[in-house]
Amino acid sequence: MSSVTAGKVAASGPSALKRFATSPTMQGSLTTIAFLLLFVGYWIWLGDTFVNVDARLLDVHQNAPILILGLAVMVTLIAGQFDLSVGGMCTLTTFLSIGLVVQKDWAFWMVLVACVLAGLIGGLINGLLVVKLGVNTFIATLGTGGVFLGISSVLFGGTQLAPTDTSPQLPSWFSGDGSLGSFGEKFPSVIVWIGLAACAYGLFRWIQARKPEGRTDTSWTVISAAIVVVLAAILFALNLPAWVDGVSLTIGVLLIIGLVLWVVLRYTTYGRYLYATGANPEAARLAGVKTDRETILAFVIGGLLAALAGVILAANQGAASPDIGTGFLLPAFAAAFLGTVIMSTGRFHVWGTLIGGTFLVWVTQGLIVGGVPFTWTDVINGVVLVAAVAVSTIFRRRA
Amino acid sequence: MSSTPRLTVTGLKKSFGSNSVLHGIDLAFEPGQFIGLMGPNGAGKSTLIKILAGLYSADEGTIKLDDETVRNLGSRRECGFIHQDLGLIEDMSICENLRLGQQPMKLVGPILNLKREREAAAEAIARVGLDRDVDTPVSALSPGEKTLVAVARTLDRGARILFVDEATSTLPAADSRRLTDALRRTVDDGATVIMVSHKLSEILDDTDRVVVILDGEISTDEPTASLDREGLVERLVAKESEMAVEGEADACEIGEELIALEAACGGRAGPVDLVLRGGEITGLTGLPGSGLHDIGFLVHGSMRPVSGRVRASRKIRRALVPPHRETQGGIPVSSIRENLTLSSLPRWRGFGRLLALGQEGRDAQGMADELNVVPGDAEGPYGVLSGGNKQKVIFGRVLLKEPQVYVLCEPTRGVDIATRMEIYRLIRKLRSKDVAVLVISSDSEDLFSVCDRIGVVDDGTVEELVPAEEMNTQQLEALV
Repeated sequence: MSSVTAGKVAASGPSALKRFATSPTMQGSLTTIAFLLLFVGYWIWLGDTFVNVDARLLDVHQNAPILILGLAVMVTLIAGQFDLSVGGMCTLTTFLSIGLVVQKDWAFWMVLVACVLAGLIGGLINGLLVVKLGVNTFIATLGTGGVFLGISSVLFGGTQLAPTDTSPQLPSWFSGDGSLGSFGEKFPSVIVWIGLAACAYGLFRWIQARKPEGRTDTSWTVISAAIVVVLAAILFALNLPAWVDGVSLTIGVLLIIGLVLWVVLRYTTYGRYLYATGANPEAARLAGVKTDRETILAFVIGGLLAALAGVILAANQGAASPDIGTGFLLPAFAAAFLGTVIMSTGRFHVWGTLIGGTFLVWVTQGLIVGGVPFTWTDVINGVVLVAAVAVSTIFRRRA
Repeated sequence: MSSTPRLTVTGLKKSFGSNSVLHGIDLAFEPGQFIGLMGPNGAGKSTLIKILAGLYSADEGTIKLDDETVRNLGSRRECGFIHQDLGLIEDMSICENLRLGQQPMKLVGPILNLKREREAAAEAIARVGLDRDVDTPVSALSPGEKTLVAVARTLDRGARILFVDEATSTLPAADSRRLTDALRRTVDDGATVIMVSHKLSEILDDTDRVVVILDGEISTDEPTASLDREGLVERLVAKESEMAVEGEADACEIGEELIALEAACGGRAGPVDLVLRGGEITGLTGLPGSGLHDIGFLVHGSMRPVSGRVRASRKIRRALVPPHRETQGGIPVSSIRENLTLSSLPRWRGFGRLLALGQEGRDAQGMADELNVVPGDAEGPYGVLSGGNKQKVIFGRVLLKEPQVYVLCEPTRGVDIATRMEIYRLIRKLRSKDVAVLVISSDSEDLFSVCDRIGVVDDGTVEELVPAEEMNTQQLEALV
């Protein structure tokens, strides 16, 4: 999207172009542009097997739990902490979602309450350990993550778990064909359209507020509108309606979680306090921020999101296995750290995390479609994570 | 002992942007001299030292060791710098700290000869008069002993010209004594020592020569023997008294009591009795390490008293300018707006308790304009601002909160003269019947410029508060 803006600005002279190229906006877009170029490369290489709306949305659908875990670790990262227990919590609530129904025959609303409570309590324990007892955040959450994982084994026997013909069944709206967990069940596209319209308007206002010197208000407003229209046209040329129609219920839930979290982080005092706490806890405390409370709350939110990730995972899979959450931690952290260099210069934020996590999946999928064995997934995730963190560190050092 | 070179500085000039800090410094230091370098904050002392150390580069001028022109002294073996931050590793022993960065003493191959390293370390600390087991971790030493270890390390590396930058300011009297004795011994040994200090007695008792920098120029360069205490103070405060006059304009009705400390103890402070009333600007000064700032934290409420009481109505709004701007002041990655509004954020809550970012931005921009923050865009990053502008933003944050009790710690630390005057004007404007201001500063100029009554903090307690007009800088310096 930024390359279009660059073309428009170039009209106002080379110095404006240079200023634009070195502006924070441009620097924050570099990674996004790099990814987009990579995908164009995939397109040329693989053609329609890569640029396949259903297949790419299915990637997002299947990775929704990981993306939610990315948001979970992001919240604690904003507070300047690490939460390594999200993988364990995710596995625990997956087992609770399946096991409490199949083995204990609980009513499903009670199961959901149990999952939410598990997330809140687990997060609270993490927060208290780190803040009140001063346990190192790595050690505390590494330990509690092990405990959460262990509890799922203790409660449900430590083996794979799925409904059988004789056991109580999961509710039909939750898992199986035509349910929350199935890719076939779509999110109302009108809501997606409203969201996209809001994004377009937001982008328009954002460009409008960055009027370069020497432009009249009216002319810049027209230019801003033109940029948005051109972008929209490009998206329509890329088959936007098919993407919108393909958004599954799970992806819809993911977007709603992201939206709520974004509002909390951007439009509430809590969000602002959290960023301040993470960036300079001493200064935040002396400015009147209750840093201890904010940090504990960050762990609680992280726990809750991890619990939700587990529930969604259960809906997608319809089964639970002990190793289901292993390997989730790396892509979750990769998504959060990638988010700091997507539309941003060094800050953790919601949309960066979701987009970063999605890009990460597509990079891997592209290679798999192109013939690289799927066993390379973790290698690719690791390489992209390290590269992203290196880039974001360089940006922060400059800032 | 290698011989000590003669250090000559000619025509040294330095500006930061349009702000000229050093206007041409000429100095020559002979071997075997103990020089005291003095001057008010912001006069250019630390800029001079930083140029010599190679942290800044000079705009003009030359630095010479004997006849050799050098860029800076930072990388020269024969020069050593001891800053307030001593650069010791707390968890490591004296011996390990001394050996860091030195050629290791080997036994066989990569195996260290620990015995010889220990002996060398013991010898090095004995030379500065420190009698300690060299295996003692540095964290177990007193502040004075740590400084001695830093001196020993610098000497052990072969330094013959020593710059000691305010290293005594945080030390208790007895420890300062040990340090100056150790420095005296190295001078008698033929080395050159240049000590930056605000302590008059130290300079008068121990140095051979006094150099005073005022506003970027050498205003005094005389043998210590020709100066007495009053003579030295006059040379230091010639300008301060002019500035202080401006402060005595607007008297104000005294309001009711807003906050009271009753035998409150916390951190290094206490027991402190202190009453703050509306309409008064109270000033406290003292040496760093006297618990000065902890009194500020107690009054602000960011430190709970371990004993005694801080009596304040729950509804009283309090705001603090913290003493250490870089570590305690701003949020580096956030914007100027976010830094300005951090303390009063609930004010911009609107529909559904969500923040009205537009209004917040306009109010923040208004404050940034009022305080002349440069560059002036409130959406710009805070981290890249200069020290003075950061201080303005921190002030703006406090002003936006509109508190009834202001606690201003080191309000002018590291800011230039112009900003300093702006800050004094701001503080004076705060004076009103319903507002109490507490200024806590180790810079006496701050107190005389804005305060109605002044107290000296010694060992965590406040002596009686004296009306500012009944005291002059000399008396205050004598008390501190």
